[in-house]
Amino acid sequence: MAAVAVVVFPGTNSEDETLRALLAVGLDGELVHWSQPERLARFDAFVLPGGFAYEDRIRAGAVAAHDAVMDPVIEAAQAGKFVLGICNGAQMLAEAGLVPGTGPLRRPTAAFAPNASGRFQSVHVHVKLAVAPERVPILAGIEPNAVIPAWASHGDGRLAAPHDELARIERDGHRAFVYCGRDGNEVAPPNGSALNAAALVNREGNVLAIMPHPERDAWTYQHLDATRDATRGDTAAALAPSGGIRLFEHFARAVKGKVPA
Amino acid sequence: MTAGSTTTRTFAVTLTIPDNEAFTAYETLGRLGIAVARVVRADIWQFDADESAGDLARTVASIEAIHNPNKHRLAERTSERPANGEVWIAPRDEAPATTVAGRAIPGVRAIRRRTAWRLLDEGGRDVAPAELDRAVETFLCNPAFQVAITA
Repeated sequence: MAAVAVVVFPGTNSEDETLRALLAVGLDGELVHWSQPERLARFDAFVLPGGFAYEDRIRAGAVAAHDAVMDPVIEAAQAGKFVLGICNGAQMLAEAGLVPGTGPLRRPTAAFAPNASGRFQSVHVHVKLAVAPERVPILAGIEPNAVIPAWASHGDGRLAAPHDELARIERDGHRAFVYCGRDGNEVAPPNGSALNAAALVNREGNVLAIMPHPERDAWTYQHLDATRDATRGDTAAALAPSGGIRLFEHFARAVKGKVPA
Repeated sequence: MTAGSTTTRTFAVTLTIPDNEAFTAYETLGRLGIAVARVVRADIWQFDADESAGDLARTVASIEAIHNPNKHRLAERTSERPANGEVWIAPRDEAPATTVAGRAIPGVRAIRRRTAWRLLDEGGRDVAPAELDRAVETFLCNPAFQVAITA
């Protein structure tokens, strides 16, 4: 069975929800702590979950991006293995230079910078695939313009980069997801993100950094609308999969497709 | 410096208790092969204030979001630029704030915040400028949205 490492840093807080989502879509997931980089060699794919690694000291994701445990993750990404970063994990991937991946390693060309509001924000959002499905092999089988619900819960989620780099991100299809409404129409980002970007992907499409948390809308009881309210008193319905799980289903299809059965 | 009837006042806030952020920076810089024996960090607050600000130093000292006397030391600087051997990291496209923690300060028209870093060698001297530059380029500053300001 395809094995995925969920890498836990001091301050990570979303590892359990992320692992639960991975297990639910048929992957063999395991938590690996930052002090155990030697354990990472056996894994087929990696997820960097959300939270506040090293208390976001210096900059969100900056210290973790230079942590020894990131060395094997970076090597795996360069070897074509799939790496998914969610929220703080997305910030790490940007600081590590893996997304958009247009510069040298660990010399970031873009950042998920402090929100335009200057505050931490937690809001329910939808994100829409903004590139052709072929551009994101990490989400195998995802349909064009797929809309996925999630929770944007961050203080540093605003894509920022120099103008020429933003132009490159847009032109070369690094902007994987944009913020949208339930109907798929684009809406203003909650954080002032440039290009309305909610996620970045590298050139090869095997590294995805997404700011909102799909694992926090993986089950119906987490979904913020009447669907959830209608499940009150019905445990089975409340625990049924919600839209966010679809991102993990496509990720699982990608990972399993690379691993011999 | 004065702009119209305003003056820019610069304050440095340092911790009197162990600075975990500075220690984390020290550890990471060591991992990057940058020879440094000690890292000193300060929050720099700059206020464009007019005459109605009154005793601004006293006002600033009373704002707990800036200065908590139980753990901070507040000092006004005479220069609005970094000292020799120091680098300030600031947002690249900065829109100065007008409030701190939602609170306006009487007589203050703009507020800017920077992080000051100083890297010291075994003898307590500033590291060589090239070493400081390397620390800035590899870790302390993300040029995608930040700028590094030196003396």
